[in-house]
Amino acid sequence: MFGSYRLQRLPSSHAGIALAARVAAIVIALLVAGIGIALAGMNPLNLGARVITASFGSAFGMEDLGVLIIPLILTGLAVAVAQQVGAWNIGAEGQFYAGAFAATAIGLFVPGEGPLILMLMFVAGMAGGAAWILVPTLARAYANVNELITTLLLNFVATLLVYYVSTGPWRDRSGMANSATPPLSTDVPSFWGIVHWGFPIAIGLAVLVAAVLAFSRWGYEVRLVGSNPSAAKYAGIPVRKHLIAVMLLSGGIAGIAGMLEIAGTVHRLQGGISNNFGYLGIMVAVLARGSPIGVIFSGALMALILNSGIILQTQGLTTSIVLAITGFILFLTAIGDELSYYRITREKA
Amino acid sequence: MTVAEQSFTPPPGTAPIVQLKGIAKYFPGVVANENVDLEVMPGEIHALLGENGAGKSTLMNILTGIYQADAGEIIIDGYQKEFATPMQAIAAGIGMVHQHFKLVQAFTVAENIHLGWSETPRRASKAVLENRTDELAKRFNLDIRAGATVSDLSTGEQQRVEILRVLAREARLLILDEPTAVLTPAEARELFRALREFVAEGNAVIFISHKLDEVMEISDRISILRGGRKIATRQTRDCDPHMLANLMVGREIVLDDMRHRAEGAAQVSVEPVLVLDNVSVSSESGGNGLANVSLKLHAGEILGIAGVAGNGQRELSQVLTGVRSASSGQVIVDGKSMKGANAAVFAAFGIGHIPEDRLHSGLAPALSITTNAVMREYGQAPVSPHGIYNPRSAYRLAREIAEAAEVAIPDYGMPVRNLSGGNQQRLVARREMRIADKVLIAAYPSRGLDVGAINTMLRYIVELRDAGAGIVLISEELEELLNLSDRIAVLYEGRIMGVVDNDNLDIEEIGLLMGGRTAAREVA
Repeated sequence: MFGSYRLQRLPSSHAGIALAARVAAIVIALLVAGIGIALAGMNPLNLGARVITASFGSAFGMEDLGVLIIPLILTGLAVAVAQQVGAWNIGAEGQFYAGAFAATAIGLFVPGEGPLILMLMFVAGMAGGAAWILVPTLARAYANVNELITTLLLNFVATLLVYYVSTGPWRDRSGMANSATPPLSTDVPSFWGIVHWGFPIAIGLAVLVAAVLAFSRWGYEVRLVGSNPSAAKYAGIPVRKHLIAVMLLSGGIAGIAGMLEIAGTVHRLQGGISNNFGYLGIMVAVLARGSPIGVIFSGALMALILNSGIILQTQGLTTSIVLAITGFILFLTAIGDELSYYRITREKA
Repeated sequence: MTVAEQSFTPPPGTAPIVQLKGIAKYFPGVVANENVDLEVMPGEIHALLGENGAGKSTLMNILTGIYQADAGEIIIDGYQKEFATPMQAIAAGIGMVHQHFKLVQAFTVAENIHLGWSETPRRASKAVLENRTDELAKRFNLDIRAGATVSDLSTGEQQRVEILRVLAREARLLILDEPTAVLTPAEARELFRALREFVAEGNAVIFISHKLDEVMEISDRISILRGGRKIATRQTRDCDPHMLANLMVGREIVLDDMRHRAEGAAQVSVEPVLVLDNVSVSSESGGNGLANVSLKLHAGEILGIAGVAGNGQRELSQVLTGVRSASSGQVIVDGKSMKGANAAVFAAFGIGHIPEDRLHSGLAPALSITTNAVMREYGQAPVSPHGIYNPRSAYRLAREIAEAAEVAIPDYGMPVRNLSGGNQQRLVARREMRIADKVLIAAYPSRGLDVGAINTMLRYIVELRDAGAGIVLISEELEELLNLSDRIAVLYEGRIMGVVDNDNLDIEEIGLLMGGRTAAREVA
């Protein structure tokens, strides 16, 4: 007899299979998108070739990618850091806005220019992001209120706040733009075309966070708290203190993303400035399996996908297709992650 | 004749409702049940008695279709049956009320009764369901508010809902797992009344309990399980608590006495190393907590804590190790009050802790073996000098612990949950022994382990005692306690029922204390 096949659940997932599942998820999502595009009467291969030449064929394309990577790495890092302590920060979007808002306030109203102001803006951005996650953090730490919901809801508040100030009290009164603040006088300098110093800062932060988690006493404690709070309590680790510190750090990192976006890329504050970077950060973190170093790579991948959308738009396609593809990739990745816990065994009948 | 007076003698020729023949169930390394015969007659309340791990739950899980027996047969009303699923057991008239209720808290009583029931009307309004529920409650004479939300009910009321749900499905055999553990005395009396009415109609009840008094009160016959086998079935009227305690614990305890000290072993100290002074702890989740517990532990001795699980053992081990602070009273180590100290401070003082559920509180299952092995010493050199965590030193320490525990580990980076339960426990034990200069609190150190692993674990404990540490050994295995302890304290509903010396100890007395009966003789 041939025996029967059986799915067996393993106690731990296989890292190789999980990585393969991520690659497969991306390929399948692209295939499905290609079929959709073909059904709509266009040639997906031509479009694909165009995306590749536009992204990598010129310095401009590469620069666009470089600028997109910065906020994606940082918001992804924000989500991944919170995951390390066992929290879901769905509010990177709101913290991004809060950071951008606080940094703009410094840029607009503190007189002066140069590195000192830039430094102040950086700190303000970080503080703004941290302030935005403060209430959800304390609610989780002291009353066990689910941070998933509280951080998410505060996103809408931050989004509307930025719309309000940039079209209201802070709007550019010179008549050039009605829906944005005046240009900021202090910028994050660029070092390659339009790519600014936020790029090395983002990568440096990811490496720094990874190193602290792996090579410090504090990082060890945080990993233990995130993996099993009762074990941490058993070992006498202050669970609440670490939870608060890491969640504030997460908000702060998302705030830095917002600050770099207004001071390095857009040079002014306006509504909708986040481009969903905060939400995409969730996806970046999930694709990286919560690894701060992995976020650098999944952030780059996400930047490529976003950039493709912008290019496709010039070809008469709607950018919604990119959202559909990213959503599909996330969906398939979740399935792949679950499947990586299984293996097929054959039983003798 | 009244129901209460009915002494049980089934008329000759009566077919049992349920007959189990030669039931066996094996788990890897464990004999859960072997050669168990059990007959339950119509009209009887049949008590099932046994220590934790005696095989009661496994046997009932087989009878209710949750497990399938490896050998033996189930005969219902004279027909042999095989239950592949719990549904089939319910269809055959066997219903069980578990110790932990399986109700949907957010639903009403009526909704819970009708959930997953083939006889629930296809389209039913709230009113229809509640009317049906009221009728059922009246039929079975159970006091239930059909429209109330379950989360608003007391535990006694919730239990009635569980019972009604089983009875509504035409159960003829009702299995109750420690039903009175969660009830007030008044609620328990109410339950007993309902059970007597139920069996008076020719149905039967299997009543699982540790409490000797109530088993004597409610049951018609008693079967005793020990070590997965049935030891005896007796008419209740022929039994007394002493005899039951004897049967339950077992006469033929293998006295592999580990109390003997080797030459050069540390002597029992004069001054206590650890003192609990009138300590109370509030319970966290409906458990017992601790009430005014005073204990003294000397260096070089093993103090056994006997008692049925759930009588305050968890709280005791937590308060002794700083995981939880006492709500009143104080813990004193070496003459110093530990007020306000957390678990890390206790550990730094030389108090090790083998927790009762290693996977939930002693380890982080998803993290690596190295990470878990260094949990007690990560904060100091060589693992993290000056706050810098050194993975190489951590690995070396983990290897040292694993070698002491004689656990072969192929990859220190793999999640600790990939290890077997026995190996996890050895690692935890060795990790704790390294820091336990003064005291080791070991809660159920041999739980879930096979014989070989248990021996290793007990050897470790003796080794540590001989090195001069004081040990608190919390266990539900009396045999283990008798073999190791110098003194045994019995915990019942959060109180110390008595502390007895383990010389010329009367096993019956321990059994009685565990069942909540105060002994005539107490040795402080």
